[in-house]
Order: sequence, then structure tokens, then C-alpha cells
Amino acid sequence: MAPEPEQLSSLSNPLATVDQLSTSSSQLDGVPADLEGSLRFAGAKLTQAAGILLRLPQEIIAQAIVIFYRFYLGSEGGSFRINAVKDVSAASLYMTAKISFLPQSTRSVLNVYAYLLSPTSPLRQPSEGITGKEKPDAESYYLSEGSYHSARATLLQTESILLRSISFITQVTLPHHLALTYLQTLGVLPPSPTTKSSALAARTLAHLNTALFSPQLLYLTHQPPHLAVSAIYLAAREVGVKLPSMEWWEVFDVDRETLGFLVVGLGSCEGWIEGENEKWTEISCPLTLDELEEEIRRRDVENG
Amino acid sequence: MASHSKSRWADDEEDAALEAQRKREKELKRKVKAEKQRKLEEQESLRRQNPVDATEDATHDHEAINGAAERPFKRRKLSPEPDTPLKELPPAKLLRFPAPEWGPCRHVDNFEKLNHIEEGSYGWVSRAKETATGGIVALKKLKMDNSNDGFPVTGLREIQTLMASRHTNIVALREVVMGDKLDDVFLVMDFLEHDLKTLQEDMLDAFSPSEIKTLLLQLTSAVDYLHSNWILHRDLKTSNLLMNNRGQLKVADFGMARYYGDPPPKLTQLVVTLWYRAPELLLGAEKYGAEIDLWSVGCIFGELLTKDPLLQGKNEVDQLSKIFELCGIPTEATWPGFKRLPNARSLRLPSISQTTGNVLRAKFPLLTTAGSALLTSLLSPNPAQRPTASEVLAHPYFREDPKPKSTAMFPTFPSKAGQEKRRRLASPSAPKRGDAPRIAGEAADFSGIFANRDTEEVGGGFALKLI
Ligand SMILES: Nc1ncnc2c1ncn2[C@@H]1O[C@H](COP(=O)(O)OP(=O)(O)OP(=O)(O)O)[C@@H](O)[C@H]1O
Ligand SMILES: [Mg+2]
Repeated sequence: MAPEPEQLSSLSNPLATVDQLSTSSSQLDGVPADLEGSLRFAGAKLTQAAGILLRLPQEIIAQAIVIFYRFYLGSEGGSFRINAVKDVSAASLYMTAKISFLPQSTRSVLNVYAYLLSPTSPLRQPSEGITGKEKPDAESYYLSEGSYHSARATLLQTESILLRSISFITQVTLPHHLALTYLQTLGVLPPSPTTKSSALAARTLAHLNTALFSPQLLYLTHQPPHLAVSAIYLAAREVGVKLPSMEWWEVFDVDRETLGFLVVGLGSCEGWIEGENEKWTEISCPLTLDELEEEIRRRDVENG
Repeated sequence: MASHSKSRWADDEEDAALEAQRKREKELKRKVKAEKQRKLEEQESLRRQNPVDATEDATHDHEAINGAAERPFKRRKLSPEPDTPLKELPPAKLLRFPAPEWGPCRHVDNFEKLNHIEEGSYGWVSRAKETATGGIVALKKLKMDNSNDGFPVTGLREIQTLMASRHTNIVALREVVMGDKLDDVFLVMDFLEHDLKTLQEDMLDAFSPSEIKTLLLQLTSAVDYLHSNWILHRDLKTSNLLMNNRGQLKVADFGMARYYGDPPPKLTQLVVTLWYRAPELLLGAEKYGAEIDLWSVGCIFGELLTKDPLLQGKNEVDQLSKIFELCGIPTEATWPGFKRLPNARSLRLPSISQTTGNVLRAKFPLLTTAGSALLTSLLSPNPAQRPTASEVLAHPYFREDPKPKSTAMFPTFPSKAGQEKRRRLASPSAPKRGDAPRIAGEAADFSGIFANRDTEEVGGGFALKLI
């Protein structure tokens, strides 16, 4: 059944306009497009890592990542050269947690970011990943009272700037729950799961989580039902589960064209992420303003 | 350090000049880009007139949009499975999702302030005109608390929940605008001529039974919409119900609203203005749900019938006494587990069950049997016995004569807000963050019950006692 128009808000997100996707404040400020892509990815990864260390559920982390992307989008949006990746990431996560059921204190958010930006952080050693079981050396990221206060001022100011840039649209509807509901509707997620149905569900959710890092910003260009359907389509093909032979995606209001585009987009995410991780093995991707200026200078020198 | 790394709000004059220069340059670049984009779109629309392959086309579009030169993956067509011949299918008519957009907040100086309407506990509201369009709106300034937590969570939730609510009986939030300071944030809403509280105060007689039905139906359908979208309003009362001159009611003031879950999470009990506050909140329940809004609906129903707030407690303890007096004292049978609620532990109540219907019916002698049944069920002390909003909508009360009056037939009333500040009789306001807990659970806080019971001669036949 098609939902009533009034009910749509619970299924839909604000989407980026063509204009917003065609140019960005950062590019106008001289950040090359490929570096911008890397900065976005690094910011999303930073947000994800911080969320894991704060033991926040994936739902809140994913919403924070989408908010982070919204901020830097379009020529009217924020610029990586004015508002640092680390600050906007922290503000997105802090603000998203604040309106959720798991608000976090400024102190714990800032501690986690101080740790993640410190030289001993796993993010600074690209080969390692965040597991949430780290026992980091406290010395290297200890926040003194003085630096805590100035960091908090930056966090709260960035929060205000962020909110104004996204005109207070904090709602992010995720496709994850929808995808599970759709799987049930399609009859491929029985109440007592089989190995195959579990694998299908897991693969579907994995695609949706990977898509968060998509360089095409799929979460900003497509509605949750579209993402959910495409992830199911792709996962079913990979796991080898047969879906109804009719055009079942239309039941969920997704057309063939969109499905085609998204399946390609989702399928290419993992490769892109790998490429990105390889790109930044020598030096880590800039997360602060100084690091970004340094990187831009380095490129200028390289290009003569 | 490069000038870029300076804050946008650097107060240094030199910085400001640099910043201005940079802004001008950026503006220019923006215009050039916009022109390019326009040309691109022209070509695009030409191209669309003879489309190639649909799937291919979509991929292509997107790449053009992103302008990513070195795409790290090869564009490839979706290879359809044999059992799902993607290409051969006829295009289907599908529902389009509305796609709201976002961009930076506009400045409040796009609006011209006309007059002050009301000062509330969370900010002020005024009538204003959008200079560009001449459209009349209501501007509500959000009050910032001076906590160290940044933008107040109540304001964030007010915007979030109101923005997510699109319903004929919920006030429309048009946009959020900002002032000069980072803390100046205003909600731009549709302007409505009245609020139900001020309106009732100025009316000689209460609304007619058929008008009450229409008002109640509109309120309940808004509440039903909110609850089905997992939003609790948590401050329903007549001053938060707006009305226009076409008899339309719209729920406003989402300052207490929030998303909730099932099972309900632990939420603050510091919600809902005292006179409309459900007994489970007064008794300190840590988990509560949509039922608290239906209690408020019941209070509003009673208020519409008599033009007077139904349960005007002086404080939390008194409020609870008044509720029990009108609706009966709960027992383990009528409300299992209620004795274990934090504030109920210090109460000693008579064990005989009260027959509640009689008191309520006596108070509203003109109400039909169906009407009394609805009111009594909404005012069930046990939240589990209250109807849901959708059950209320289906209640026989609305189908019996007199039928609900069509909104078009509603009388128009002179608008107070159109000219001057609304005059208000004193009444309690929504609880603020940081208010002292209402019932501390200490014996001392309940002494009021004895005082009240002693002096009042209402033959309620019960007494609240401290252990
Ligand atoms: N859109 C509107 N059109 C006309 N009047 C409005 C509008 N919104 C609010 N008002 C008026 O302003 C009053 C206060 O608004 P609102 O309840 O949103 O603010 P508040 O500060 O949260 O109030 P309180 O804390 O007292 O409940 C309302 O009772 C109503 O009289
Ligand atoms: Mg109000």
C-alpha cells in the first residue's frame, strides 16, 4: 500500500539539490574535488570511530555522519578550510546524541576526540581499525582543564554554526529498519531464521552501512526506501536468495531506473573505501585546519 | 596560519577585511558556477528529449552532477538476473517522495515585526510580515537556557518534531530563521488568530455541543497523527491549541515534545502543565507513554464543556487530590502496580474502590451517556484504561446527535492577537528544566493533603494519608 502523503515524513529525508551537488563551499575555497572526497570520508570514519568509543548505537552514528555531510554540501554550506573536519564531526555526533535517548556530555565527547586525534590514535595508524576495546595511553590525549574549556567553546560554537547551515533539519531517517520490514514482506526473513535468511539480512545491513561512506553521498541523494530496496536486491544476488520474479521493488515505490543506479553505487562502495584507505597510508588524511593547509601546500609544491 | 583557519567571527579588523574580500571572491565564483550549472541543465533538458538507456542515463546524470573526474570504479550496467528482466519492463507509475531541501537559515530581518502576541515560558511570540511576500506569520523566539550544553535540547526537539509533523490540525512550521547573534533563533509559523484559552476567556458562553465535538475531533486527529509517528506532545492544554477564523484547530507549542519508543524509555516526569498532568506523572512513573497526552485531551474536553479548566490544583499534591476526588481513588484492582510508583509509596489510601462515574456525571449533567463514557475513559487514572487517540476518533459520541458542526459553520471571533498582546488570566505554565522535583517522596510534601482535606467539605468520602 502506498502510504498517505501525510505520513511520508517518517519515510523521507531532505535531499541534496542538483545545485548543492554540483559545487561546494570547499571547492570555491580552493579544495580540490578529490581531496574534498577524502576529507568527507575521513570525517565519516572519524565520526564512526568516536561513536564506537562512546558506545553509541550504529543508528545514532549513522545519523551523525549524514548530518556531517549535510553541513559541507553546496556553495552555501560549510567549508573544510573554515570549519575543521574534527570540529564538525564532533559537533554532529554531540548534537545527534543530544536529541537521542543517549545524550553524551561535552567532556566525554571531547575526550574521545582528543584521543582519536592524538598520535597514538588508531586513526593515525591507518592499518589498524577501531574495535572499541582500545586501552590507549592516557598521557597522549589527556585534556587539561584549560584545553577542555577552549575545546568545549569550539564544540558549542561549531554546533550553532552547524545547525544554522542545515537550517535545523536534524531529522535523518535511516533505511535499516525499513530494509528488515521489506525482507519480511518479501517472505525471505522467516520468524525462525535459516542460515541463508540470516546471511541475507546481515548482507543487506552491511551494504547499508557501507553506503554511508559512499563518495556519491547516496544517503543525501536517495530516500530510505530506495536505499533499502537496492541493498536487498544486491544482497539477495550475492547470497543467492531468490526473490519474487515480478518487479517487486515497485511495491516499495522504487522504479527500475533508481534501482539500477543504486545497485551500481552500492556495489562500488567497498572498492572505493579500499582505494581511499590505500591513498592515505604514508600520511593520514587531514583532520584539522592546519593539517589541511599543510596538505594543500604540499600539493601546490608537487604541482609546481 | 592561513587566514582560512581563522574563525568566521574573528573580531579583528584586519581579519574582517580579509574575510569580506574572501567572501566577495567566493560570491563571484558562486555566480560563475551557477551560470555554468544553468547551461548544463539546458543541455541536460535537450538530452532528455531523446533519452538513451534509462539505467545508463541515471548513472551518467549523477557523475555529471558530482563532477568527479577520476571515478575509482568503472561505470557498468546493471546486469539483470534472468528471472528479473529489468530492461523489458514497462515503466510503472510510482509515488514520488516529496524531497524537502535544506540550506542555511535566512535572517529574521526578512520579516517585519508587527506586534507582540504573547510571552511564554520558553520565549516570546509575535505577529510579523514577510517583507518579500507580505505574508503574515507568527515568529517565536526560542529561549536559550544558560546551561553549558550548547543549543538547548528542548529547542532542538521542538524544531525536530514540529518539522516532522505535517497535518491539517498541527501548526505549520515554515522555516527557522536566525538573528545576529548565534543564539537568536526564531520559528516562522503560520499565524492563527486565536488560541483556545484566550478565546474561551472572552466568550460569554461555552462552545456548543456540536462545536465541542468538532474541536475535540480535530485535536484528537492531531494527537493520533503524532502518536502514530512516535511523537509525544507532552504539553497539551488550551493555550497551546490555536484556532483560525475558519473553525480550524491547530496544535502548537512543541516545546516539550519528543520522540518516544516502544517499550517506553525512561523519560523526565517534568512535563505537562500541572492542570493537565496525568496521575502517573504526578506519582513519579519513570516510564510513560502516549496515554499522558490522552489524559490532557480529557482535561481539555472537560474544560470545553464548562469554559473553565477542569482540575486546578494548587500544587502537585493538591492536583493529585483533585484528580482522585473527581475520578476515584485507584486500587490494586483498578490500577495494578500503581502502589509501587515512587510517589505512591508514601500515600495511604482507603481500600474501598470509588465509583468514579457518578462524580464525573454529576459534574456534567448535560453530557449524554456516550459523552460521559468518553470523558470518564479519558480520565481513567490507570493509563492502561485510557483509549488511544484512534479509539477516541471512533467513539459513538461523535456519531450521535448533535453531529459535529462543520468548521465552515463556526462563528468568527474578533482576534486579540491581530491587534494587541493577548490578555491572560493567571494559570500555571509548563515545567521548566531545573524546576525542583514536584513530589520529593518525603513525608513533609504530603502534609498539604491533610490541610486540604480538613478544610474542604467536599463529600469525597476518602482521604489521602501518609504512612
Ligand atoms: N502560530 C501562532 N499564531 C498565533 N499565535 C500563536 C502562534 N504560536 C503561538 N501563539 C501564541 O503565543 C502563545 C505562546 O506560544 P507557545 O505556546 O508556542 O510558546 P511557549 O513559550 O512555549 O508557551 P508556554 O511555555 O507558555 O506554553 C500561544 O499560547 C499563542 O497565544
Ligand atoms: Mg505554550
